[in-house]
This record gives sequence, structure tokens and C-alpha cells, in this order.
Amino acid sequence: MIKGRAWKYGDDVNTDVIFPGRYTYARMEPEEMAKHALEDLDPKFAAEVKPGDVIVAGKNFGCGSSREQAATCLVAAGVGAVIAKSFARIFFRNAINNGLLVLEIPEAVDAIGPGDEVEIDPEAGVLRHKGREYRFPPLPPTVMEILRDGGLIPHLKKALTKEG
Amino acid sequence: MGKTAIEKIFAAHTEDEVAPGKVIWLKLDVRTARDFAGANVVKRFREAYPDERVADPEKTFFTFDCNAPANTIAYAQNQQTCRVFAREQGIRVYDVDSGIGTHVLLEEGIAVPGATLVGTDSHMNILGAVGAFGQGMGDVDIAFAFRHGRTWFEVPPTMRVRIRGNFEYPVTAKDLTLFLVGKLGARGALGKALEIEGEAVEALDMAGRITLCSMATEMGAISAFLPPSDSLWEFVEGATGRRDFPYPTADPDAEYIQELEFDVAGLKPIIAAPPRPDNVHEVSELEGERVDTVFVGSCTNGRYEDIRTVAEILKGRKVAKGVVLKVAPATRRVWGRLLKEGWLEVLYDAGAVISHAACAGCAQGQLGMTGEGEVQLSTGNRNFPGKQGKGPTYLCSPATAAASALFGKITSPERL
Repeated sequence: MIKGRAWKYGDDVNTDVIFPGRYTYARMEPEEMAKHALEDLDPKFAAEVKPGDVIVAGKNFGCGSSREQAATCLVAAGVGAVIAKSFARIFFRNAINNGLLVLEIPEAVDAIGPGDEVEIDPEAGVLRHKGREYRFPPLPPTVMEILRDGGLIPHLKKALTKEG
Repeated sequence: MGKTAIEKIFAAHTEDEVAPGKVIWLKLDVRTARDFAGANVVKRFREAYPDERVADPEKTFFTFDCNAPANTIAYAQNQQTCRVFAREQGIRVYDVDSGIGTHVLLEEGIAVPGATLVGTDSHMNILGAVGAFGQGMGDVDIAFAFRHGRTWFEVPPTMRVRIRGNFEYPVTAKDLTLFLVGKLGARGALGKALEIEGEAVEALDMAGRITLCSMATEMGAISAFLPPSDSLWEFVEGATGRRDFPYPTADPDAEYIQELEFDVAGLKPIIAAPPRPDNVHEVSELEGERVDTVFVGSCTNGRYEDIRTVAEILKGRKVAKGVVLKVAPATRRVWGRLLKEGWLEVLYDAGAVISHAACAGCAQGQLGMTGEGEVQLSTGNRNFPGKQGKGPTYLCSPATAAASALFGKITSPERL
């Protein structure tokens, strides 16, 4: 279960503002990366975000450059999930591969305002906001397994161990 | 039910059922990393798989192109991190002297019709130009692909775009491409595979096919596929000595999520104004705007044909006073052909600064960035704020770039 406040943004949030290009070569540890999350879009975010908080955005979240730090910096900042109307596909993959829940729930995006309390049960496929429930179709089984295992590499390691 | 082009490639590379929305485990013929993100791939690999080997060094490559040769110590360090790993693992490095990775993969016959390739370049889908599936991915994905030779992928639905009519020089593949980016918008093909067909598409030369496929990313698409053509097979034969590859052509009863049709008869030269690639206009609407810098190159327009077009326009003339014309061929091979045929001399005489082969301006690499207020015309593919510096960037064809460099202001090549 994911529970936190909403950070609300618009359409086409690109990876350059999620994790600025000027930091992509400094090979940072996660705690350091978290300090720069969304720095060029919302300078307050990194300082005020709390574990479990949720990013709520419009269409095409994560477009542009393929840099994976755009996903990993959000994980490091403790973001519980990103809810958007749609995602750029490279970002979508990067998020799942790093264990970050990403959901396309357009109606919920319209309803949720900045700072609202949001609760998400990914296994049941439900998002709760102001007493209303939004149902979303479950992610494909392989994707859910990767998320449950905390990302792609841990997922395959686990699968290989099981196979013996 | 019939299959679309991408479904055909996938079906030949998986045991799983291939249908839109299904997640499959996809076998990868080739996995690459460039100097951008390459060092992070190495770091991820070492953390996740200490003391393990890549699945197949023969199918694994590094291609250094973003900042080549490195002009910051951080970049140089990242490249060296990749080289050390490559030596340990027996992986081939296309080093800083090679050119843009995706183009090197095409020229070397590593990207062939029907193949699957992944890398850390978000324009890997340019490989659709030869009927290959190319996909840009993040560090973990590529580290995983290096180790296991496969990845998970959600089969995208396919959208078909029919182009009716034809166009003539000075309208070129880039104008068609920008026209489509404008029609579809940055999200028009989001998460979908594109099939673009029509007489005008089949008539494109290889450079034109590359231009069109390179901007699938700017339409939000996973990848774009084109019908095969003589120019394609000539190129493939030149690179591999073979023509017997399974070209992915959609079945007649393939299912499309959406079908669109555009008429390009009478198409005019197109330009994308800041701040987005889909902010397109006819060049004539913006004519007369002052230009400081003109950049010719990139994975979108850095082929021999692109740069020769510029040289032909500038032959015997000079770029306008106060304009800096920057030229970066896509690869060392393109560079050499332009040199040996005398085109670089033509460009030199016209006043151009000529760089070695790499991504150059597009990746803030060699050839510099723009300062605030510095107006740049680029034959590249992205003009987001900050992408190439502080100045506003317009995207256009090599012909429009050359005409504008001559006059020092945005100029349609129709005036030449």
C-alpha cells in the first residue's frame, strides 16, 4: 500500500527537468541524486518530499533523453508512485526496472490537486482520493512481478534461484 | 490474424505469444552502450553481476559518440571506464574516432533487416531505416541485456501512416519528417510502432530513410518502419555483402490501432521553431529572422548525402558575415568520403568549421553550445530549451540550413 501527498505537474515533463543533464556524469550515490530530483521543475520538491508521496502529472511524463537517473532519483527521493495520463515509454521501462510504480489513470489525474492525500493499492488495482475509488487495470503479470521484486535485476536473480 | 512489421520481428525473437499489450521476453541480437550512460551500465553490471561475463561479447559493443573525443574530464573518465570493462570482457569498442553509434552499426552491417538491437541512445530506433528493431533504454536495462542477451518488452500496437503524393528537391526527407512530427505532435504516436508508407517514402535514399526513422522518438513512437526499397538493399549489400535478410513487411490483414493519411503534394520546406520539435512552420513564414549559428550534422542529417547537399549549395560562395557554419559528419566513413571527393574543401572555402564525426551540437559535445540569445539553425532532431545551450534552436533540412547560412537569416532553399 502506498500513501502520501500529491505533487502535481502538467504535460510533457521531460527527463531534463526530472534530473538535470548537468549532473548526469557525476556518478552520484542515491541520497545525493535525491537532492536534485525535479530541481529544474520544482525547486521545493527535493527538500519537502516525504516517503510515499506521489507525483501526479499529465500526458507523456518522462519524455526526451533516455537517462535512467530520471527514474532512480525519484526512487531515491522516496516517491511511492507516479500517476500520469500517459508515459514516455523509455521512462516507463526505467521506472519499472528500478521498482518504481507507474500508473496511467487519467481520471484520477484530473481530480487530484496539489498536496491532496492519495492512497494506492497496486495489487488490488485501486487508487483512493477524497473518498472516491479509481479502479485501474492491473499491470501485465511480468511487470507486476518485476515491481514486487524491486526491479529487473533482483527479479531475474530471484527467478534464476527458483529455477535452481 | 496477420502481423505488423514489429510483430514479425518480435515473433522471430521470442517464444512468447506476440500481440499488442502482451509483455514478452525478447532475444536481442545486439546490445550496445555509448559514452552517455555507458559508465553507469558498467557500474550497474559490476554491482549486479560481480565477476560474471557478458552473455556474448561478439554481440556486445561500446560506441562513443556523445562527447568524442571527450572535452570534459568526467566524460573522458566515463569512456575509460567503458574501455577497461571492454578489455576485461573482450567487447569491441567503436572509440571516439568512429562517429555516431547508430550509424556505425548500420555501416558495419551490425544492424540488419529483421534484427533486434538495444542501446543507451534514445534514437536507437533510427535502425528502423534498415528494417531492424532498435530501442533506447536505461542503464539497468542495458546492464541486464549485456548479461542475459534478452529483455522484457511490451508489444506496442502499430499505427499506419500513408503518405500520398510526392515532393521534389529542395523539399527533402527532413521536410517530410518535420511535417509528420507537426501533424502527429510529440505524443501522436506515443507508445506505438509506426509504419510509414507511400510512393514518396519508397523513393527515399538511405539518408532520407534514416532522417525519417530518426524522429520517430519526437513523435513519441517506439520505432518507425518503412517499406523496403532499392536504396535500402543496395546499402545493406554494401555493408554485409548479402541481401537475403527477412525484411519485416506487414501482412495484408495486420491490425492497426489507427490509420492516418497525409497528402504531401506541394509540400514546402518546413522548419521547427523553439521550443519543441512539433512547433513546425513553413520556412517561408519565418524567413528573415537573424541566424548566428548553423549546425549541419547529427544522427538525423549527418549522412554523406546531407552534407554534400550543403556543399553543393555553398560551392563557390561564402556564408554570410557573422554566421558560423558548423559541420559534423555522422561517421568517420562519411567524413572520409566527403574529404576524398573534395566536398570538405568546398565547405572550408565557404567558411565552414568542420569537426570530426560524432553527435556534436546535439549532445553538447564537440562544436560547442549556444549562449543566451544566440540563434541556431540545426539539422538535428531536438530543440528543447537548454538541449544545445541557452540560445533558441530551429530544426530544418540541410538545404534550408545552407540557404540560411548564405544569407545570415532564415531563408527557404526555394530562393536559390
